[in-house]
Amino acid sequence: MFLQLTLGGLSQGAIYALVALSLTVVYRSTTVVNFGHGDFVMAGAFISYVLVVIAGVAFLPAAVLAVLAMFVLGVLFSRGLIRRVRGGPHIGLALMCIAAGYVLRGIARMVWGREVLPMPRVFDIEPIFIGNLVITGDAVFIIGTVLVLLLTLFGLLAFTDLGKMVQAVYQSPRGARLIGLNVELFDDFSWGVGAALGAIGGILIAPVSLLHPDLGASFLIKGFAAMTLGGFGAPFGAVLGGLILGVAEQYAGAYIDTSLIEITAYLVIVLVLFLRPQGLFGRKAVVKV
Amino acid sequence: MKRLKTVLACAVLAASAVTAQAQSQDWETEGLSDDAITIGVMGPFSGNAASYSKALIGMMAYYDKINDEGGIYGRKLVAVQEDTACDSAKGIAAAKKLLSQDKVFMLQGNSCSGVALAMRPIIEDSGVPWIVAHAVSDSISDPLAKNIFHGVPTGSANGRAMAAFVLSKPDTKKVAIIEHSNDWAHSYSDPARAYLEEHGVTPTEELTMERGETDATAQVLRLRQDKPDFIIAALYEAETAIFLRDLKKYGLGDIPVMGTAGTDLENTMKRTGDFDTVKNYYVIHSYIDNLDGPKMKPWADMIHKYYPDEQLSTFSFVSIGSAEALVAALKAVGPDLTRSKLIDALNQVHDFDTGILSDPITWTPEDHQGVKGSAVAGFVDGKPTVLKAWGQPY
Repeated sequence: MFLQLTLGGLSQGAIYALVALSLTVVYRSTTVVNFGHGDFVMAGAFISYVLVVIAGVAFLPAAVLAVLAMFVLGVLFSRGLIRRVRGGPHIGLALMCIAAGYVLRGIARMVWGREVLPMPRVFDIEPIFIGNLVITGDAVFIIGTVLVLLLTLFGLLAFTDLGKMVQAVYQSPRGARLIGLNVELFDDFSWGVGAALGAIGGILIAPVSLLHPDLGASFLIKGFAAMTLGGFGAPFGAVLGGLILGVAEQYAGAYIDTSLIEITAYLVIVLVLFLRPQGLFGRKAVVKV
Repeated sequence: MKRLKTVLACAVLAASAVTAQAQSQDWETEGLSDDAITIGVMGPFSGNAASYSKALIGMMAYYDKINDEGGIYGRKLVAVQEDTACDSAKGIAAAKKLLSQDKVFMLQGNSCSGVALAMRPIIEDSGVPWIVAHAVSDSISDPLAKNIFHGVPTGSANGRAMAAFVLSKPDTKKVAIIEHSNDWAHSYSDPARAYLEEHGVTPTEELTMERGETDATAQVLRLRQDKPDFIIAALYEAETAIFLRDLKKYGLGDIPVMGTAGTDLENTMKRTGDFDTVKNYYVIHSYIDNLDGPKMKPWADMIHKYYPDEQLSTFSFVSIGSAEALVAALKAVGPDLTRSKLIDALNQVHDFDTGILSDPITWTPEDHQGVKGSAVAGFVDGKPTVLKAWGQPY
């Protein structure tokens, strides 16, 4: 049972990690927490649904198109809406994100109502039984995809000039501006990447779960919890936080009580903020006077 | 002088009594004319839960059928619709409007239990007869209100029917329950649990799966250790599909699962994507036949006669049975109709076979929850089949 729970937890946790990472990408470059991000996850899943089920496009090209569409949406959201309220109070930015999320959810509700939609399975293969351990195609696909994606992303951040530029903008937008970086463009790009990564999370979970307009809400909370656990602004921490949260949910549900599964994320948020507010890999906020 | 005062006082009292009697007589026949009986029909005709209003469309189609046949003693059944949008505040406003402004003779309808519960105090105070035609919460009609009659199986009737079906499978000893932690799920699971206990069966595993959960691994692994003979699942549509998928994924697809009336076989199969996942899934089914079966066809034709564009669903038929009972009671009263007489006649409805609901309607002065059971639908030889008990077609 332990191994099975760990595998199931890692599979779920990989999605949380992706959502947390996409929130972190935006937060690192803009210091904005996207409270509407769950609906970006949902929108990505619905775009792929439309392409696969209605337009008859194969899953892989449909997924690529959906991710591109969400990237463009993220960039447009940043240029068209966020930039205009950037100088104002932070609450304005938060409300703008929530409003955008609700607009996306409203559109989905208008089209599909409260209908629960099935997405065809990507790897509809028979599970492999090794003793009591069941390895499903879904789990392999989700963990494998997220692993490749994370390695690519962290490789880009660690070993390329692009990564250095991202770090420069995160550490000091003003300094980055002084050395000639177009910070506004970086912001737009971050919103685009954040939306695209969130969309990948939605696309991966859609065949395993079912689609409905409120799908994103729970992923937003899980993403926040993972982000809090890993440390705000720490990409590696967000990923690790997501994986730990996924596994913790399974252990809590199986070994203590299944009603704990749903509240594990909230417990994590409370405990981390109480015991180690900077999370596992975040930096302690220091105010110099 | 003293005598004069006494006489005057008596005259005033007599006049008041006459006025009160006249007012009472007016109240008794309010909303009634020589050619019409006005019936307030409340329901979610708009909003997210608008699909539930199909129940009221079916019911109004039945009114139309009765009207085409000449009505009841020359009176047509005239529906006055009010939209609740499945929202308690709007529901209360709708009930007040129907009672105070439209002054309908009686009420029939309402699909959302929360809204019906919010309306209950106003309607109970008014004394106007109300037949609850779709909402299932027991609290709408229990404790008893003399003017409120429940015309569909309540949550407890369904919950007990679920447990009865589970125990009708030979050698069922170990039963597990998985449910949401909300009132809706408890309205099924609590009576089911009580029924099991009455029959000496204590659930061996009680699990929670919350709304929005996208994975049931932990729950299924606990079930794998427990090895139940039957699982009762009080879960909404999406979670039911996820649970059944995970059950099959971890090799437990052969354990039968009993679901609520909130899901149906056809749509659950659509959501899970294959027959193998739902082959052992059973659901509460309030009708005598499959929705596309020959016994339901006349009702489907009736709805389409009056509402040609109506898309039929499982909700479309649920309120017709109580409309039939109403018509029977109105006929029993005779042409000299009053609200009190109608309430008395409804209390006399006994073992009324609707020809559509799987169980008869019985109302007594002590018990207004009229439908005490439900059939079950499951796949037999790959086809959705209505069952009385395990292996017994209806």
